[in-house]
Amino acid sequence: MARRTRWLRHATVATSLALGAVVWEVAGHLTTGAFWAPLSATLGSAAELARGGVLLQQGASSLRLYVTGLLLAIAVGAPLGLLLARLPRLRVAFEDYIMMLYATPMVALIPFILSLLGFGFTPKALVVFLFAVFPVLYNTVEGARSIRPELVEVARAFRSNEWELWRDVMIPYTLPFTMTGIRQAIARGLVGMVAAEFFLSPSGLGQMIMMGSQNFDTAGMLAAILVIVLIGVALMDFGRYLENRFAAWRGYTR
Amino acid sequence: MTAIQQAALAKPERVEPREGMLDSPFVLKLAAGAALLIAWEAVVHAFAPAYVARPSGIARVFAEVVSDRRFLAAAWATLSAVVEGLLISIALGTAAGIAMGRVGTVERVLRYYVNSLFATPMVAILPLLTLWFGYNADARLATVVFAAFFSIAINACDGARSVPLEYLEVARSFRARPRYTLFDVVLPASLPYLLAGVRLAAGRALVGAVVAEFFISIPGLGYFILFNSRTFKHNEAFVAVIVLVAVGVGFEALVGWLTRRYLPWARRDEAAR
Repeated sequence: MARRTRWLRHATVATSLALGAVVWEVAGHLTTGAFWAPLSATLGSAAELARGGVLLQQGASSLRLYVTGLLLAIAVGAPLGLLLARLPRLRVAFEDYIMMLYATPMVALIPFILSLLGFGFTPKALVVFLFAVFPVLYNTVEGARSIRPELVEVARAFRSNEWELWRDVMIPYTLPFTMTGIRQAIARGLVGMVAAEFFLSPSGLGQMIMMGSQNFDTAGMLAAILVIVLIGVALMDFGRYLENRFAAWRGYTR
Repeated sequence: MTAIQQAALAKPERVEPREGMLDSPFVLKLAAGAALLIAWEAVVHAFAPAYVARPSGIARVFAEVVSDRRFLAAAWATLSAVVEGLLISIALGTAAGIAMGRVGTVERVLRYYVNSLFATPMVAILPLLTLWFGYNADARLATVVFAAFFSIAINACDGARSVPLEYLEVARSFRARPRYTLFDVVLPASLPYLLAGVRLAAGRALVGAVVAEFFISIPGLGYFILFNSRTFKHNEAFVAVIVLVAVGVGFEALVGWLTRRYLPWARRDEAAR
């Protein structure tokens, strides 16, 4: 019985995916090419782009931008958040502003960045960085806020020096929160990447989407979107894995 | 005075900060705000061209921009699109999410679509949406809905799934009809999750509206920013950014307040997603 229901479950998922593929294909044939392209044409276009090396080249360009911005955001956001964890006065002073920047739609700054820094790699990496840094910083500070003073006091009572205090209390306590921030940054950074490639100098996968839509090459556009969706799903799963990996550290103190 | 008394009186190594000006959070925050503004002003003054936005320049044009009719029309266009899109997403997303959370088959059918579209950056499908809806306000609304719907659906689904089993058992032992179970048990129990989803969705909806206006060039705060920054009126453009930040923060505060006021039993980090 149990095996039967499990089989049925997999069958539902498989049927739903197959149905989606059929709907995609049929919709492509029923509408004009400017609206939607069949799945077969999309996959054909993707294969062609992959064979020509365009996909790999543009994907690598996008990924370089994304990784640069994201790593910079983590390298700045996490240590800064930890520092604020250790200096409660600074934390109290700045946390509202960090929350404000966290809630700011960073896309709104793209036109300013464009007219100040122009085209090139740096302004685009800056956009990804701005999208990604505040989730990391905000969540790390949130974690810092919830460190129980007793923990620091106990560490002090056992004569921990500054380094040991960081190693045994501050970092283990705030890291799970930082990971939540990194998961959010992973998702936001991807939005920033595509936005930068659209509105600053066109490059990478964003440029492929743009070119597809301008040339009414809907299949090519859908192929590029599909690649971005797949990257997005993979990154999302990775982020969730990271978060869960460290979630156990949160312990019972909630 | 004995040695012991002397030792007790001796200053401890670490002096606890005395209560004073610097312990008032309000003073600290005010000082930090002033420091940030001064730093911004100084950096722009020292390194950037004259047209770049700076606090003094923004303060000078603020009143004028905010009372400008075109600016008000732009703000209204963007914010009403965001609110409308959010309402549509809340209605559809709650329905879809609760169906997914309570009915296994629905969840299995929709799971991959909802998860993968949630992970899709809404910017990437903008060209597609403009193909379907044209270069007009409908495309902006569609972008907002796309940006907001999936986070609400996913959170509603998590909420509906986490309804304590005992609640449902009680409802069943009183022979509650399905619709009462739905509206009196499942929906209230998943509200904290739903609110967390709405909070997330509001931020994404705002980004969606601005990005759509950049792309489509229709009147709105995003286009206001784009237009003014292109003509080197950065101070004016920044007023629109301030409005966007105020709306984002205001909404965050509103949802936080609603949760504390009406759902005090909801634990904050439980519903964070």
